This record gives sequence, structure tokens and C-alpha cells, in this order.
Amino acid sequence: MESILQVDQLSKSFGKIKAVNQLSFKVGKGQVFGILGPNGSGKTTTLSMLLGLIPPDKGEFSWFGQPPSKESRKRIGSVIESPNFFPYLDAVTNLQIVADIKDKPYDDIDEVLQLASLYERRFSKFRTFSFGMRQRLAIASALLGKPEVLILDEPTNGLDPQGIAQIRELIALVASRGTTILLASHLLDEVQKICTYVLVLRNGVMLFSGDVKEVLSVSDSIEMAAADMHLLKTAVPELPGFSSITETDGIIQVHFSSTVKTSEVNAFLYQKGIVLSHLSEKKRSLEQHFLELLQDTP
Amino acid sequence: MIKLLRIEFKKIRSYKVFWILISLYFVFLAAGILLAEFMINHMVNNINSRMPIPFPHVAIYYFPDVWQNVTFFASIRYVLIFPAIIMIILIANEFTYKTIRQNVINGMSKTEFLISKLLIILLMAGVMTVILAAGAFFIGLSHSGFNEVDFFSKGVPFMMGFFISLICYMVYAFFCGFILRNTGLAIAIFTLYSLIIEPVIYFFLRAPFMFKNTIYTYLPVNSVIRLTEYPAIPMLKKLMGLNLQDHVSFVACLIPIGYAVIMTGIVFWVMNRKDL
Ligand SMILES: Nc1ncnc2c1ncn2[C@@H]1O[C@H](COP(=O)(O)OP(=O)(O)OP(=O)(O)O)[C@@H](O)[C@H]1O
Ligand SMILES: [Mg+2]
Repeated sequence: MESILQVDQLSKSFGKIKAVNQLSFKVGKGQVFGILGPNGSGKTTTLSMLLGLIPPDKGEFSWFGQPPSKESRKRIGSVIESPNFFPYLDAVTNLQIVADIKDKPYDDIDEVLQLASLYERRFSKFRTFSFGMRQRLAIASALLGKPEVLILDEPTNGLDPQGIAQIRELIALVASRGTTILLASHLLDEVQKICTYVLVLRNGVMLFSGDVKEVLSVSDSIEMAAADMHLLKTAVPELPGFSSITETDGIIQVHFSSTVKTSEVNAFLYQKGIVLSHLSEKKRSLEQHFLELLQDTP
Repeated sequence: MIKLLRIEFKKIRSYKVFWILISLYFVFLAAGILLAEFMINHMVNNINSRMPIPFPHVAIYYFPDVWQNVTFFASIRYVLIFPAIIMIILIANEFTYKTIRQNVINGMSKTEFLISKLLIILLMAGVMTVILAAGAFFIGLSHSGFNEVDFFSKGVPFMMGFFISLICYMVYAFFCGFILRNTGLAIAIFTLYSLIIEPVIYFFLRAPFMFKNTIYTYLPVNSVIRLTEYPAIPMLKKLMGLNLQDHVSFVACLIPIGYAVIMTGIVFWVMNRKDL
């Protein structure tokens, strides 16, 4: 896969705080890449370095196979933390300034305003926008000129549920056109729904990175209950791929190291003479996996 | 370059504060210049009422002295502070609204950002100088008539001097706004220094109890406003034995230009090292 962004040993400290510590990763063309981490884990600092706002202490990165420059930034649309616009200018003028900087024509402006549901308010001053509208304008400005890469730092911050759904649809649409997306968030749900690849950060250190599907599929567990719980508990460890067992309120949770089908489990136990009164598959969410990751490592 | 100016122009075009301050500047400027003769003659009248031999009234609006006089009144601290405050607002706003970050993210280089602000300084100084020159020309015409021989001898040197004053003083303001990154704070400190702190220092440096020195000529703001040292009033020459300048001294220009160059250098240095 063609690599869009390559990051090598990137580090940045603020005084004693190591905000980003020896971070290396690669983003391929067309990937929807999630950077996940709790507050203060270094997501914004990382993105700020990648966009030329903060000079890194150590390490390097390259965009489109070239050293970073203003020309590479013109090919990237970004929203970092808060929407930054001139409060006394209207939406259209603010976007014209963005288009001027990026050497893009004004043709796209109406379209991105429509995508962000701001077209009716295009001649209102930015100052008069609500919080969510400001966030939308930021996303509209990031989409201006059809960028090859979209960088979003907490894009759904402050939006209403409808707005969140809209932005997710928008991201899905943009991704389907082949745009590479780099999304930072502390909302696991968001990353799980949008991203194909995830990198987990804590205290500036990368804990984990991998395919979102893989993360989800290895972590299945199945809940079971039967009249004879004792018999059930002795039979379960014989299941293929069994890893561990926990019990709560007369129901056992059986964890597997590989994927299993509930039908196979049922058939296996029936042969042993166990009739299940409860059987349900629990996909472990990315959230549980994420929390475990954060707990496991000191 | 044209692109940078176009972007700057968009930022300013519908910014009310900018246009209000510019208008105030021209109102103060016009009032200062047009009332100057009246005020001076009012003082002369006061003095004359206690003198046996009356002084003649002064006339400051005739060619070629009008160039020098207009420049002098346009360079006083209280008038010059307006374009400086405008400049502080234009740069500090970029930090307050974080638009400087957004400009860089979107693909403007840090150097381009600074150049665009310096271009605005040049442009504003240019336009203000041209307007002042036009004003001086019309004032001169309406007072001297067309039979005057020497129209322009003082025009170019004093207008050039004014242009340099404006550029340097706005660069000081730009520096202050850039370093402090906060509109209110930068305006407060800049105004305080220009209108109070430096005049106090000046007063002490020139006080009779001080040893003879020329340090006062190196004060940054003083060096800007003293490019035109005195208005051209023949009576002053006779009364105080002043040597009236007939042009702006090139050496005197080097002091504010030096400050402006150093400040610009610092701004570029800081911009490329500090986080945005
Ligand atoms: N300008 C700064 N000066 C000092 N410390 C900073 C600065 N910016 C960030 N930090 C510190 O660096 C660390 C990482 O901050 P960063 O903003 O990158 O986190 P984040 O992952 O984006 O968090 P959040 O989810 O809250 O947005 C934090 O400990 C923060 O306090
Ligand atoms: Mg952040």
C-alpha cells in the first residue's frame, strides 16, 4: 500500500512532561486511521507536530514521501482542537481565506457549506455561530478543495446526536472517495464506528496498533447458563479455543482466544448431555479492550 | 505577494474596528493640522497681551514650509499612536483567534505569514503618506496661491521622512503585539511606553541637572517622532536660536530603522522556534 504519512521516533516534551515519546507509525493511502487515547495522552501534540505548529524535539516525519512543507499541508484538510476563524467575518469570507491559502478556487465553497448544513447561514458572521455550527464550519473548511488527507482532532466535540451522526456519515462519504483520514479521539465508540485501523496512545507512548476488525474479533466471549452449572463448568474447558471463565449471578462468561460460533458450542455441549438455558454471544467492544490495555501496562 | 496582500485585505475589509480606528486617525490628524495655526496664534495673542512690542502672527500653511509643518503635526505621539494600535490589533488578533495556527495548518509558511504583515505595514504607511502629501499640497495651494515659486523643495524629503517614521513605528507595534500575543496587554504596554514612560525618561535625560548627553536621541519612539524636529516657524528660529532643518537627516533615520530591523529579526527568529 502506498504510504501517505511516515512517522519515525517522534518526541516532544513540555518541561518534564513527555507529551509524545518515540512515536513511530505509518498511514497508508485510503486508510481511516484512528489515534485513540485518554485526555492528555499526546494526540493533539502529535497532530500539531505533523502540521508544522510545534517543532518536534526529536524524530522525523514525511508526508507523501517528502519532507514536510507548506506544499504538503495544502494537500491536507485539518481541524485541530477548536475551530479557528475570524469572528467578525462571515462563513464565506472565512472559507475564501482558506481557499486562497491553499491555492484552491472558490467553486467548492457552496458545496462544503451544504455538506456541513451551513449554507443558509453562509453570510452570518462566525461570531454569531453556535458551538456546534463552529465545529461544522471547521469541518467544512477542512473539506475545502478536496484534500487528499483529512485530519480531524475530536471532530464531534460539542455536536448534538444528530450532528454526530451527520459528521460520521460525512466521514464515511469522504472515506469512500478514497481520502485518507487521520482521526484523533478519546471516544472509543467513535473510533470503533469510523476507523479501520487504530493506534492507542498513553502518556505519549504507543501501547498498541492494529486493525480494528482484528481487535474486535479476537475478543469474543460467550455467556451461558444451564440447570446443572457444575457439569457445565467442567465441560466448558474442553471447548476448542477456550481461554478463561468467569461467573456472575448464575451465568458464566467463557472467553476464547479464537473465534467460535455459538451453534458449535451448543452442539458440543448437547452431546455432553448439557441443555443450556441461556446462550448469548458477547462481542467485546473496543472499549473493553482499550480499558484492558490501559490496565495491563503499568 | 499579491496573494498574501489579497488574503490580508480579506481579513481587514469588513473589520469594523479597523475602519473606525483609521477614520479616527484621519480626524485627529486633520484636526491637529488645521487647528495648529489657530492654536499657535492664540498663544501669541496671550503673550502679546503682556508684552510692549507684539509678536507677529505666524503662518504655517504656505509653500514650501507647509510640507515640514504638516509632517511635524502628523508625527506627534498622540496621532502616530493610532496606526500603531491598528497594527497591534491586526497581529495580536491572529493569536487571540488562533487564526495564525489555522493559516499555517492550511499551508501558509511562517515566513509568508510575517511577510504578509510587513506588506500591510508598507501599504498602510504608503497610503497614509500619500494622503498626507495630498492634504499638504491642497492646504499649501489654498494659502499660497499659484504665484509661489518654491512649491516642492521640502515636499519629498519630509514626506519620505514621514513614510519612514510610520513604517518604523508600526514595526515597533507589530513587534510588541507579536511578542505579547495579547491584544489588550500589548495595546496597554505600547501606549504606556510611548505616551508616558519614554517622555519621562526623555525629560530626565534632558534635565538641567544631567550631564550633557545625546542618549535621548536614541530612545526608540523619540527617534521616530523627531525625524521632523520642529515646525518651520521663523519666529522660533529668532526666539530660541534654533537651527531649522530644511530636510530630514539621513543619519537620524538610521536610528529608528536600526530598531525596526532588529525587531523584525527577533520576530522571524522567534516565529521559527516557538510553538504556535
Ligand atoms: N503548550 C503546552 N505546554 C505545556 N504542556 C503541554 C502543552 N500542550 C500540551 N501539553 C501537555 O502535553 C500532554 C499531551 O497533551 P495533548 O494536548 O497532546 O493531549 P490529548 O491527547 O490531545 O488530550 P485530549 O484528549 O484532552 O485532547 C499533556 O500532559 C499536556 O498537559
Ligand atoms: Mg487533544
